[in-house]
Amino acid sequence: MSFLSLVVKNPFRNKTRSALAIVGIAIGIMVIVALGMVTGGLKSSTQSTLKAGAAEITALQTGSNSFGSGGTLNESLVNDLLSTNGVKDTAGILRATNTSSSASSLGSNSSQSSFGPGGSISITGIDSGKLSLVGIDNVNGSAFNNGSTDEIIIGKTFAQDQNLTVGNTINLYGKDFKITGTFETGSFITDAGIYMPLSTLQNLTSNDNKISAILVKVTDNANVTTVSQNIESSYPNQLTTTTAEATAGRINQGLGFIDTASWAISLLAIFIGAVGVINTMIMSVYERTREIGVLKAVGWTDKRILGMILGESIVLTLIAFVVGTIIAVVGVEILLTYSPSVSGIIKPSFALDIFARAFLVAFLVGVIGGLYPAYRASRLSPTEALRYE
Amino acid sequence: MNNTENVIEIKNLKKSYDHGNIKALNGIDLTVKKGEFISIMGPSGAGKSTLLNMIGALDTADEGIIKVAGIDLMKTKKLNQFRSQEIGFVFQMHNLIPNLSVIENVEIPMYETNANSSEMRERALELLKSVNLEKKIEQKPTKLSGGERQRVAIARALVNHPSIILADEPTGSLDSKTGEVILNLLKELHTQENVTLVMVTHEPYVGNMAERLVTVLDGKCKTDEKLR
Repeated sequence: MSFLSLVVKNPFRNKTRSALAIVGIAIGIMVIVALGMVTGGLKSSTQSTLKAGAAEITALQTGSNSFGSGGTLNESLVNDLLSTNGVKDTAGILRATNTSSSASSLGSNSSQSSFGPGGSISITGIDSGKLSLVGIDNVNGSAFNNGSTDEIIIGKTFAQDQNLTVGNTINLYGKDFKITGTFETGSFITDAGIYMPLSTLQNLTSNDNKISAILVKVTDNANVTTVSQNIESSYPNQLTTTTAEATAGRINQGLGFIDTASWAISLLAIFIGAVGVINTMIMSVYERTREIGVLKAVGWTDKRILGMILGESIVLTLIAFVVGTIIAVVGVEILLTYSPSVSGIIKPSFALDIFARAFLVAFLVGVIGGLYPAYRASRLSPTEALRYE
Repeated sequence: MNNTENVIEIKNLKKSYDHGNIKALNGIDLTVKKGEFISIMGPSGAGKSTLLNMIGALDTADEGIIKVAGIDLMKTKKLNQFRSQEIGFVFQMHNLIPNLSVIENVEIPMYETNANSSEMRERALELLKSVNLEKKIEQKPTKLSGGERQRVAIARALVNHPSIILADEPTGSLDSKTGEVILNLLKELHTQENVTLVMVTHEPYVGNMAERLVTVLDGKCKTDEKLR
């Protein structure tokens, strides 16, 4: 039997104690991995909102602090803004929500009664030529025709949640719409929505010539902040602007807090885990005092004894890493499977650094927790150890 | 080293505990030739086990001379290496590792040698055959009788081809019949492997099985008698 096999085998002499130590550390690892997966997913979604080609500025009705539904702005402002210095392109969008509808596949009678977070779905009206301003660069299938009254495209998340594809129909506002294409932008908000011609949505929601917001794409050399300020100063008490960067910054700041909390939890997990491991390993060393005396008597060096106890401690924590990681991944997947409202928002990240961080924490807990008991064991006097009852 | 040379040379060895209040060894002198089988007897507290621990380099003396297998134990820093290469211990309570199989227990001292896993297994198996335990190599010590456990301990003591076997009350936890079997096995292996056997006991019939009987009292050799 190799020395490594011995080190792996030893922690399972007292199965209950080892299992409890593993569970304690695994909980910490699980929290680190689960939080990492969630925040990582949110971060990558935020990054996707800053993709090249999309609008850098969103102009809203002054006093409006959210990207709300309904038409609050006059559509004529879309063209007016084009004359602002530094503005390259603009697009008016109307946002609405639809709370009850049904979807059915062409040629079949299957139907679904509700969709989206809380049973509602975000619908955006936009000129099909301006889709790139919301980050939709490629459409699987084809984009809707601006003149059509029954064509839509849907985001990948929505399509997956509702099991819909190109060619299917979906009922909105009591009217059947044909899905001409699907898209994926990476933004969890955009990918969970439906897009249709602006005029069609204006008609359906009685918002003729009204829009919710204006998306603004700036020229290549223009400063986004300056253009943003220009718009606000040109339309005082009428338009207020927000930049995609500022929005992403705010989201990232929030995620930063979660990230800090995640690190704090990691440190707490290291501390609690290390205390648990120290306790487990000290008990183990006490119980095996006589055995350690025998190992010294047969010629084992202090270094080998230290390596054995430290190795056993690391084995415990690495098993905890595997257990905690599996529970975290399965747990997050279960949460997303059984909670559509959450799955529409969170796409978990499986980035290597999340698992590397958890591995590092587990390894550190093993080393910190095992060091003192290992040192103690290695310094035992052989005669005293052999006399130990 | 031939059989006329001294494998153990001890002169005026002293060891005290509790800041000098307890004199465990009080100027002991002893020489043992290679291949000899000697028994050390004496009452409790006489210093028998302390002497054995000094010979096995488990403890260090306060003063005196102690050379074992040509190594000055008062000077060498490599006590672990000395124990691994020159000494095999057999304890009263056998001290086997409960979660390891019989053969794994015998392999334990070989981790400090350059032997690989298959060489370790081969040597351990060879010794387990010589103590008639080849059919129980995968069993855990808890499934063995007291005599069988002590046979495993003897195999473990011999696995690194030591110069000296130090047996501390090897029959102390066994019934007389099993004890006799173990003693005969120790004697047989001592002859077969040409290894020096130093045995501490307080039982006269066990002590009288040796070739030479040394009695210790108050940390000194009181008698030194050649039995055969």
